[in-house]
Amino acid sequence: MEILLIGVLLLSGLAVGSLGSHLLGVPRVAGYILLGMLFAPDLLGGHLGMESTDWTQPLVSVALGIIAYVIGGAISPGQLRRLGWSIVGATLGEVSGAFLAVLGGVLLLGMTVADLPLWSFALVLAAVAPATAPAAIVAVVHQYRARGQLTTTLLGMVAIDDALGIFIFALVLALVGSGSIGSALGTAFWEIGVALLVGGMGGFLIERLSRRFHEQSMLLPMLLGGIFLTVGLAEWAEFSALLAAMVLGFSVRWFCGPHAERLFEPVEDLEETVFVLFFTFAGLHFDPSAVIDYWPLMLVYFVARAVGLFVGGGSGARLAGASRPVWSNVGFGLFPQGGVAIGLALLLLHYPGFSKAGEVIVNLITTTTLLTEAVGAISVRYGLRRAGELGLEQAGGEAK
Amino acid sequence: MKIADWLDLHPVTGVTVGRDASLEEAADALLGEPECRDIYVTDAEGRVVGHLGFRRLAGVLLSAHRPTHSRRQMLERVARGPVHEFMDRRFISARLDESVHHVLHPHMERRVEDIPVLDGEGRLAGVIRLVDLVRAAIEPSDDSIG
Repeated sequence: MEILLIGVLLLSGLAVGSLGSHLLGVPRVAGYILLGMLFAPDLLGGHLGMESTDWTQPLVSVALGIIAYVIGGAISPGQLRRLGWSIVGATLGEVSGAFLAVLGGVLLLGMTVADLPLWSFALVLAAVAPATAPAAIVAVVHQYRARGQLTTTLLGMVAIDDALGIFIFALVLALVGSGSIGSALGTAFWEIGVALLVGGMGGFLIERLSRRFHEQSMLLPMLLGGIFLTVGLAEWAEFSALLAAMVLGFSVRWFCGPHAERLFEPVEDLEETVFVLFFTFAGLHFDPSAVIDYWPLMLVYFVARAVGLFVGGGSGARLAGASRPVWSNVGFGLFPQGGVAIGLALLLLHYPGFSKAGEVIVNLITTTTLLTEAVGAISVRYGLRRAGELGLEQAGGEAK
Repeated sequence: MKIADWLDLHPVTGVTVGRDASLEEAADALLGEPECRDIYVTDAEGRVVGHLGFRRLAGVLLSAHRPTHSRRQMLERVARGPVHEFMDRRFISARLDESVHHVLHPHMERRVEDIPVLDGEGRLAGVIRLVDLVRAAIEPSDDSIG
């Protein structure tokens, strides 16, 4: 029955998402989430024999591994050097700003779930906050033919900030999963250190193995095999699967050198499929009572994240020597949050001690994702217009 | 037919560019030779160290017009490097003393249009174009592939 439901979720999710986007102009993710809600165990899912959503856990783990591999392989050391200090500084500021603002906001609110310590809950929520949605930003840049320093800065930032976000998330999970400070350091050392080692060695082996395969069709099974093996090893030996998969991608890119796209393109093509699954799975968990009970938390998360991104990104860019049009507007371009954040939240559902908190976090991120998708595009456009980089408007054209 | 003999009948010198050249310089060199679809990247001694196809080159240079980007493509757009960061350094080449018949199929499997022919020192001696091979195949004559 699970396979049947996955097929239904993928096909009808795509149909509803595309129709909603085409006819009503709402973001496609709204359609995906709505469709997932319809097939929740309490509604249509129950009629298909779905009594729980536990079966989604292995899929979420592997799918996040795929996304982490793609994120890790996005940048080469040479590109990192060429990006320029202003982009790197703005990204560091944006990521730390979102993390610290959400952490502070949740701690001040003092609201937690079940018997989870407030610090743990606040740290995990803060670790999800830096993730952004590059697709939403690229869509605005393309629609309005945006060009200029701010456009370049934004594209560079959203291409690398998820890597930092995943690193922080892996570190936070390692810390909150331990009882005391002493054991936390040991656990963190194991979870992070072994993940770096396994990911690095795995990347070397995959790149060597890929030299044997000249046919493009053979690369996808080899790459998926490598990602599955890394994630499976991580779950078995209890180190960070997310970090190991991300380092795997970085390491493949590092050892491959130029022309690495043949080791990433086949996996990148799976990204949209993964995100459709994430959003529909989030819909399966949607619980209106959680939204009603925890609305102050959602409001604090939404506002604190926006303030953190704006102040952190702007300050980072300014300190790194970016021009005024960049540092004063960069924060407007970072609000959209999407598939990566939802995937991280879904991962928490099966993390020890997070079953109840995971449900609340999935609902919180799902709700705020809908909000950021709705206002994010407007905000990106506003920032680019203030910086005078909307090429189509300057040319007197009209976006389609 | 030996490749050396083929190049005598169909002399195509091919296009090369230094490894530190920009993509714009590579495109400029390639557009100057409209009969060639691929460019070969050389080191300081003129030895071929990589291959770059026209589609890949065009894809990066026209990336601003792409409606969706992967993160990797975004970084290619904003932190573009010299030509050696885009080349395929594990390309297959042919030698002058090989036969056209034996090298053709492995190259077609890699979906490249031109076959680079290297001399004993690794420098580009010429290029066998797929269009010339197809023309020879459908018009049997003395200079057929053999």
